[in-house]
Parts: sequence; C-alpha cells; structure tokens
Amino acid sequence: MPQLEQVEFFISQLFWLGVFFVILFLVLTYFTLPKIRAFLNKRDEFVQSHISKQDELIKKAEQLIENYEQKLNEAKNQASKIIAEAKESALQDSEKLIKATEDKIQQEIKNTEERVSKEKSLAIEELNDQLKDSASTFLSKITSFDKGNIKV
Amino acid sequence: MAKGESPLKQFEIKPIMDLELFGYDISFTNSSLWMTITTLFIIISFTLPFLKSKKTNSVEDLYPSRMQVAAELGFNFINNLITDTVGKEGKKYFPLVFSLFMFILFGNLFGMIPYSFTFTSHIIVTIGLALAVFLFVTILGFVKHGLKFFGFFVIPGLPIYMLPLLIPIEVISYLSRPISLSVRLFANMLAGHTLLKVFAGFVSALGFFGILPLVFIVALTGLEILIAFLQAYVFAILTCLYINDALHLH
Repeated sequence: MPQLEQVEFFISQLFWLGVFFVILFLVLTYFTLPKIRAFLNKRDEFVQSHISKQDELIKKAEQLIENYEQKLNEAKNQASKIIAEAKESALQDSEKLIKATEDKIQQEIKNTEERVSKEKSLAIEELNDQLKDSASTFLSKITSFDKGNIKV
Repeated sequence: MAKGESPLKQFEIKPIMDLELFGYDISFTNSSLWMTITTLFIIISFTLPFLKSKKTNSVEDLYPSRMQVAAELGFNFINNLITDTVGKEGKKYFPLVFSLFMFILFGNLFGMIPYSFTFTSHIIVTIGLALAVFLFVTILGFVKHGLKFFGFFVIPGLPIYMLPLLIPIEVISYLSRPISLSVRLFANMLAGHTLLKVFAGFVSALGFFGILPLVFIVALTGLEILIAFLQAYVFAILTCLYINDALHLH
C-alpha cells in the first residue's frame, strides 16, 4: 500500500497539506466568508425593511378604513337626526293645521247654530204676527168686530 | 488495467518538483498538485460570485446568480450544521468547519475524476487534518475551562468507586478521536477507489461480458460520489460535536 510504504513523502504531504489548508482557511476566514455573510445580511435587511414598510402601509390603510368608517357613521347619525327632526316638525305642523281646521269648523258650527237660532226666533215672531193677523181677520170675519177692539 | 498493475497503484505518489527545506524533503507531488487545485477551486468558486455586487444599490444586485446560489447553499448548510450542534457561540468556529468540510469534500470529489489523485485516501493527510482538529479542540477546552477541562473525563452522577475504571476508558476514547476520525475518511476513500479499480480490471478481463461490471462501476461511481459527500459531512459534524464538547464539557 503506497500510503504506508512511501514514508519518504510523509513530511512533504504534511507540509503541503498545512500550507494549502492554512491558505484556504485564512482566505475563507478573512475574505470570502465575510463577503458572503455581508451579502446575505444585506439581502435580509432589504427583505426585512420591505416587510416593515409593508406593515406600515397596512397599518396606514387600516387607519384610513377606520377613519372612513367613523366618518360614515357620523354622517349616518346626522342623517337620521335630520330625518327625525323633519318628521317631528312635520308632525307638529300637521297637528297645528288639524287643530286650526277643527277650530275653524267649530267656529263655523257655532256661527251656523247662532244664525239658525236667530232665524228660528225670527220665524217664530213672524209666525206669531201672522197668527195674530190671521186670528184677527178670522175673528173679524166671523164677528165683524173691528180689528182694533179685539184683545188677544 | 494493465497486466500486473496493482489496484493500489493509483495511490502512488509521484514527485513533480523536488524541493528541500532544512534538510527535509518537501517535494511538490501529485498529492500537492491536487491540494492546490482543490484550494484554488474552493476559493475561486466561493469568492467570485460575491465580487460583482457593491456597484449599485439597486434591487437587481440582491438577486443571486447561479454560482452564488450554489455558494450560498454550501454556506447555509455548514452554518445550520454548526448552529444545530454547537449553538450561537459556535459561529466563531464556523470558518474552520467550513474550510474543513469544503477541503475534504472537493478533495474527495476531485478524486473521482479519472487519472486524478485523491489526497484524502492517504492516511498521513487525514491524520494531519484529524490531529489539527484534535489539538484545536483540546486547546480550546483548556482555554475555556482551564484545569476544569479534566472534569470532562468524569461522568457526572456516577458512584465514586466506578471512577478508576471509567476515567481510563474516557481518556482512551478521547485520545482515539483523531484515529477514528482519520481512519474513517482514509479507509472509505481507499476502499471505494480500490473497488472501482478492481471492477475496472474485470471489464477488460471478461471481454464481451465485461458490460456487467461496467454497469456495476457506473452505479458504484454514483455511490462513491455520495460517500465523498458523506465522509466530508461526517468529518465536519464530528468536528462540530468535539467543539461543542470542549465548550460545554458535559
């Protein structure tokens, strides 16, 4: 087996192994690996910053939605208030109108009743007069008394 | 396979350039060549995709390219591995585990290329890596806990009279960590590559019926690629566990 027979090359192999491994180790440690790590960190930072930016934007959007909803609710409340107020005022107006109309009607009824009673009394008086007249003519016709002599 | 050629010949080390340092032979060999290729490949393929950014600060810069996705996959894989086993304080040791995993993984995978050389199939290389991990973890334990680190060998809640028996067992199991770590990787690579070579020999030996071992080799190559990944993963996760032990004792 050359591995155990070629003893004369042991030192040479160890020497070159040491040389190349140390070169590899030093170059990787102080040059290559920091470069790779720096690059990976840079990319991670980039991704991380974008993720945080995205979070910020999402938060902003949520805030906007909240504001919008708040405003919408406010507007809705205001609208319902206005509607209620309008309803109330309309109700009041209509009640007033109804009352005024009722009053008018009442007045009319009263007036009419007064006029009717007046006319009634007038008619009765007239009737009385007529009755008186007819009675006196009837008497004068049957008794031929003077009209002025009869006392009723 | 040429006649009389051993299936182990693929593990032979061939010097490319003879070098000497303080009297020691440090020749640049085919093993060193594939270590160079592995190291350069890892550095280039993980660094290049991340060099283009910084020009502008637009979103387009943050879209990963295909190479980058692959690199990120490896990065996140090891990152998750160490945070799952060690936790948050394991981040400091991430570069070590990452380098180990990638070095072993691509060493194994490049070894699957025909005519290439698998340096992880050499016990001395895996022992070197395992000993480095072992020493690192032990020193880390002493730095974090001082002499209390020896308490690691005492299992809490055990009757005192059991300690003389169990402490040696714990110490031996601790000391055998680098051996099991290195032999596991070495043996897996050795066995897989040897098996592939042996069956490759059957293909030429059986003539027409060589199609059967050929089909087997194709399947086995897939399995070997899985093992290449698996052994790198095992090495990395065991390193993570050892680091976790050193940080938290029991």
